[in-house]
Amino acid sequence: MMTLLDADTGKTYVVKEINTEDEEMNSFLFRLGCYEGEPITLVSKKKNSCIVVIKDGRYNLDSLLSEAIIV
Amino acid sequence: MRIAFAGNPNSGKTTMYNALTGRSEKVGNWGGVTVGSKEFKIKDEYSGGKDVIAVDLPGAYSMSPFTPEEGITSEYVRTSNPDAIINIVDATNLSRSLFFTTQLLELGIPVVVALNKSDINEKEGTKIDVAKLSERLGCSVFETTSTEGKGLSDVISKAISLAGSKQDAPYIQADINLHDKAAVDAEDRKRYKFVNEIVDTVEKREQLSSETTGSDKADAVLTNPIAGIIIFALVMWGVFWVSQAALGPAIADWLVGWIEMFQEWVAGKLENSPAIISTILADGIVGGVGAVVGFLPLVMVMYFLIALLEDCGYMARVSAVMDPIFKRVGLSGKSVIPVVIGTGCGIPAIMACRTIRDERERRATSMLATFIPCGAKIPVIALFAGAFFSGAGWVSTVSYFLGLALIFLGALLIKYITGYKYRKSFFIMELPKWKMPSLKFAFKSMMERAKAYIIKAATIILVCNLVVQLMQSYNWQLQMVEEGAENTSILASIASPFAILLIPLGFGVWQLAAAAITGFIAKENVVGTLAVVYGLTAFIDVEELEMTGGANTVATTMGMTAVAALAYLFFNLYTPPCFAAIGAMNSELKSRKWLLAAVGLQLATGYTVAFLVNQIGTLVVYGHLADGFVPGLIAVISFVAITVITGIKVRAGFDKKYRLDGRLSGSISLE
Repeated sequence: MMTLLDADTGKTYVVKEINTEDEEMNSFLFRLGCYEGEPITLVSKKKNSCIVVIKDGRYNLDSLLSEAIIV
Repeated sequence: MRIAFAGNPNSGKTTMYNALTGRSEKVGNWGGVTVGSKEFKIKDEYSGGKDVIAVDLPGAYSMSPFTPEEGITSEYVRTSNPDAIINIVDATNLSRSLFFTTQLLELGIPVVVALNKSDINEKEGTKIDVAKLSERLGCSVFETTSTEGKGLSDVISKAISLAGSKQDAPYIQADINLHDKAAVDAEDRKRYKFVNEIVDTVEKREQLSSETTGSDKADAVLTNPIAGIIIFALVMWGVFWVSQAALGPAIADWLVGWIEMFQEWVAGKLENSPAIISTILADGIVGGVGAVVGFLPLVMVMYFLIALLEDCGYMARVSAVMDPIFKRVGLSGKSVIPVVIGTGCGIPAIMACRTIRDERERRATSMLATFIPCGAKIPVIALFAGAFFSGAGWVSTVSYFLGLALIFLGALLIKYITGYKYRKSFFIMELPKWKMPSLKFAFKSMMERAKAYIIKAATIILVCNLVVQLMQSYNWQLQMVEEGAENTSILASIASPFAILLIPLGFGVWQLAAAAITGFIAKENVVGTLAVVYGLTAFIDVEELEMTGGANTVATTMGMTAVAALAYLFFNLYTPPCFAAIGAMNSELKSRKWLLAAVGLQLATGYTVAFLVNQIGTLVVYGHLADGFVPGLIAVISFVAITVITGIKVRAGFDKKYRLDGRLSGSISLE
């Protein structure tokens, strides 16, 4: 169990838990296909952000959001 | 007959809409370009002569809205009963898109699926079994490429033939209590499972999306906090340099030659007419409007370059790299997009704020976006740089950077007033696939802008110049103003009271006050009015944009020093934008209090910046303070006092609310 911030770049993980403490944000991520049991790939990461692949789309997430995604 | 275009953001709805209707609505390679619904009749070649209206809607990921513009879409398809829906699906991201598709299919309105961007799939070796997909969804599916117009006639004729019929849904949500969060979640999960299962059977990929590609390496650099920001600064500098120092002025020189020839021709034709008519026509209308149109090439070149940037996919990367900085001052990475669009025109910039989810960030961005000088302010900058600073490039550079600095300062101020500490602000931005920007599209976007600019010059600006000319030529007894008695004109008597307020800023004469006031109608008017009230063509060699009579002549004619001229330029740049932009702000802010705060902030900012530039500049250059230092200082101090008091008041109310609610998470409940 770790957050996306601690994950390794280039690896695909399975989402274990999403908790942004914001119902609407959680369900927005869900609609993009980011929810428990779905794969997520970390493409690159920086101090304050990271780029991930969810389904067939690439997204830039800030650190607040990457911390809320447990893989 | 009405056909609605719905689908995920950046799937190509507006590109398809433009191709079918012949319109040129704004398109760009990022999610959230379209922020309102638009409708227009489909061209006969596609509709077969039938009266079919296409309705373009903002992109949405599902029927439950997350940002304000998504809400427009779900509201429209639910309540407006279109005769058919064309669901534009990004074929490169089928698994995400079909979630919304299955929701649209449940509405009972006939749906035709357009598998758009199929050219990219072909390139990447992704195959979709169209027949099987169509069978599983229970609706027609066509492969399309909007950018090339491929497959569009199939989609539209199918949609027309289905109009009014009934649509069966392949997946129907169970009858659950929609307020029961757990039940809704479970249902959504089932829906996604259904979608995933379809995708597994119809899609074959050669290249997995999770593989790292060359474009990922480029993105890593472009979103790097140091390299990415340097690259962005260079790109924007390049855009301004080409449009305002290199290519733009070169074309402008050529154009101004033609305008002058036209002006002389008009004056020649009017040789035997009464003096008043030739003054009004040749100097007032042709001269004033000509002064504005002469700057058109600068604006056009800039529009062309910005369109290229918008089309290639760079904007999403910029917003990602700027997010940490913008967040620090209480804005969002998405605030960058309005700022860049704002270099062209403030109105679309303010509207683009709609994609920002957080209400406070959204309002702050739409309040501040117009500090970036828009296309209409370019003539003002160019005129002053040319007239007072021998065309120095730094004037323009400083104008933009100061605008950006004011956005940051303003954002900090709003953050201070509204008490930012209680909120969490998330940032997520899809990075679209890179695309070769289309020169044709950029050209079209540029011509569209040029057309709007010329129409504006020929209507609003022309009328304003005419009115200014008349008000300057006559006094209240409707007699011609005599030479030497210019101060008795209608214009002078109206503008003089305002001019008094401007004394501490270094430009307290009625002519300059009048130009600043007409600037609120349209910023180009500042140039037009100055040209009219000072008969500027006599002092400025428009072709070279240089003073012919030397700076002293101008200083005495205009009644100001170079320092005051800079203050006057900044005053016009950073006071409230034109009325049209204020109107746009009103509809985005949706609150009279916020609008009042926005206009107040802009007025105070323009005044304070001009005051500081004039007083400090005069002290440095001439060794003494400029006129009206004390009254000006009192004005500035009272601005500060009002801000501090508002801040204390707002936050006191906020603390109270926070205590009562106990916990305020998320976003919307805060304001």
